[in-house]
Amino acid sequence: MIAKTILCIEDDRFIGEMYVRSLKKAGYEVDWMVDGNDGLIAARNKQYDFILLDVMLPERRGTEILDALRGGKEDLIPHTHVIILTNFEQDDESRLAMQKHADAYLIKAEITPKKLISVIQHLSNA
Amino acid sequence: MAVKEEEIKPIKLASQFWPTFFRQRLIVLITTQIFLMSAFTLILMLILSKTLTINSLILWPVTIALFAVSLGLNVMILLSTARPTRDLMAAIITVSGEKSALTPPNPNTSENERTGFRDALQTIYELSTKKSSEIEEAAEPQISVVAEALDITTCGFVAMNKNRKVIYANKAAPTHIDIDGLQTLDLLFNEKDSLDTWLNECSDNSVHAKHVWVRIPDRLPNQEGRRFFDVIASYQKSSTIEVILCLVDKTDSYITEEEDLDFISFAAHELRGPITVIKGYVDILQDELHDVLQNDQAELFNRLSISSSRLSGYIDNILNTSRYDRRHLKIRLNEDTVTAVYDIIKDDMQLRASVQNRLLSVNIPADLPTIAVDRASMSEVFGNLIDNAIKYSNEGGAINVTAKTNGNFVDVSIQDHGIGMPESVVSQLFQKFYRSHRSRETVAGTGIGLYISKAIVESHGGTVSVRSQDGRGSTFIVSLPIYSTVADKLKTGDNSNEGLISEGNGWIKNHSMFRG
Repeated sequence: MIAKTILCIEDDRFIGEMYVRSLKKAGYEVDWMVDGNDGLIAARNKQYDFILLDVMLPERRGTEILDALRGGKEDLIPHTHVIILTNFEQDDESRLAMQKHADAYLIKAEITPKKLISVIQHLSNA
Repeated sequence: MAVKEEEIKPIKLASQFWPTFFRQRLIVLITTQIFLMSAFTLILMLILSKTLTINSLILWPVTIALFAVSLGLNVMILLSTARPTRDLMAAIITVSGEKSALTPPNPNTSENERTGFRDALQTIYELSTKKSSEIEEAAEPQISVVAEALDITTCGFVAMNKNRKVIYANKAAPTHIDIDGLQTLDLLFNEKDSLDTWLNECSDNSVHAKHVWVRIPDRLPNQEGRRFFDVIASYQKSSTIEVILCLVDKTDSYITEEEDLDFISFAAHELRGPITVIKGYVDILQDELHDVLQNDQAELFNRLSISSSRLSGYIDNILNTSRYDRRHLKIRLNEDTVTAVYDIIKDDMQLRASVQNRLLSVNIPADLPTIAVDRASMSEVFGNLIDNAIKYSNEGGAINVTAKTNGNFVDVSIQDHGIGMPESVVSQLFQKFYRSHRSRETVAGTGIGLYISKAIVESHGGTVSVRSQDGRGSTFIVSLPIYSTVADKLKTGDNSNEGLISEGNGWIKNHSMFRG
C-alpha cells in the first residue's frame, strides 16, 4: 500500500509535533505547515489524501483556507479529505460553513492522536 | 333617548345673514315710509282743508311723487350706509370659507382707497391668510415633530406595504437603498425564523398578527458597526401599511454579552491547547511505555488521563453554559441511537469508573427506538451525570446505566448507590452553581454540570428527573423524544433541526416542534 499523504496546518508547536510524530509512526507521510499562507500554498501545490486544518492560524485563518480551496465554483481538492481540528469554539454560522466543506470537525482537546488516526482510517475506508 | 323636535334648530350660516337682514331693513324702511307719507298727507289735508280734499286732483300725484322721491332717496341712503356692512360681511364670509351669493369686495378700488375702507377690508383678508397659515403651521408641526422624533429615536420604525416594499424607514432603522432606488431592510434573520417566513405564514393564515424576534443582527459577525435589534412586527392584512416593524437597538447590552462570550471563547481556546498536549502525550506514553510501567505507575497514568478528560469536560460545560445563558446554544437534532451517543464517552467513563474503583455497568437494549438528539451535546450530559454518580458514590459502589421506552420517550437512567440527598436538596439541584452543603466539603465540582445538563436535555424537548434517598443513592432519568414522534416536526423545520434558545425562561424556538 502506498503511504497516505497528510498535510498538517497547525501553529501550536507542541500540538503539531505531537500529531506529526504519531502520524509518522503510524506510517503516514506528513507535511507540516505552521502558518495559514504556507498551508494554503502547500495544499494547492500537492495533492494530499488528508488535510488537517486548524482554525486560528497566523496570516490566514483556517476558514479562509478552506474557502479558497472549496468555496469557489470548482473544488480545488476533490480527492482530499479535510479534517478541521480546532480548540476554538466558533460561532455556529462559521462552524456550519466549515462543516459543509469538510469531512470531519473535531475539538483537539477532546481527542488523542490515537483517536485522530482512527478517524483518518475510518474516512479512508469510507 | 329621543330628542324633542322643537329643540332642533337649523344652524344659520353667516352667508344667510345678509339677505335676510337686508330684506328686513328694506321692509322696515318701506313700511316706515308709507306710514310717514300717510301721516304727512293727513296733516297736509288738515292744514289745507280748504284747498286740498280727498277728491283733490293734485293730492294724489303730489303724495305719490313725494313718496317715490323720498323712498328712492331713503333706499339710496340705506344702500350706501349698508354697503360697508355688506362688504365687511362678504369679506368675512369669504374668509370663513363659506359659499356666498355676495361677491367679495375688492379693497383696492379708488373709492375704498379714498375712504380708508381698504384698510378695514385688508385687515380682514390678512386675518384670513394668517389664520390659514396658522392652521397649516399647526398641522405641519405635528407631522414634522413626529418625523423628527422618529429620526431622533434609537428605535427603528419601518413600514411596508402589501408587496413587502419598504415605504417608510426612519434613520435608526437598518436599511440601505440600492441603485434602483429600492429600500431594503438589513436584518440577518435566522434562516428558519425570518420575517419572510412569518409573513408567508401571516398571508396564509392571519388577518392581524404580531411577532417578536430578539437579538437580530444587521451585519455579519466580522463586519464593523454591527448592531443588534429586538424586532417587534405587527401585521394587518390588506392595510395600506401591511407590516410595521419596531426595532429596538439592543446593541449595547448584547455587545457586552458578545464580548463576554468572546472572552470565554478565547479563554477556552487557550486552556484547551495545553490540555490537548497533556491528554495526547499521556495517551501516547501509556501506549509506548506499556511494557515497562509498573502497575501503580500505569494507574497514575490513568489518573492523568481521566483528569485531562475531566478538564476538557469542564471547559465544555463552561462554554455551553455561557452560550446557553446568552441564548446562543444551538442544538441540532438528528436521528440517532442511545448507544451511539454513549459510545462517544464509553472508554472515558469506563476508565473514570475503574480508576476510582466504581463498577460501571451499562445496559442499553439494542432494540430501543431511535431518538432525536444532538450526539455531542447529549454525550456531555451523560458524561456529567455518570461523573456525578461516580463522585457521589462510595468506593466499590455500583453505577447502573439503563434505558427503556416510556411512551413517546426513551428514558435513560443513571443510578448510583451512594450518599443520596434529602428532599430539600433535590429541588435546588439544577440551579447554577448550586452545591449541597455536604458535597461542598467532600466533593470537588463547579455546580454547573447539572444546570447545563438540564438545559441541554430540555433543548431537546426532553426532561431530567431525579429520585433520591438520603444515604441510599440517587437516580437521574433523562427522557428524550423518540425520533419517529418528532420526525415530521423536525422535517417541516427544513430538516435544519436547529433549536435556538431564545425565550426568557429558557424555552426555545424549536420547542414548538414538540409542543404543537
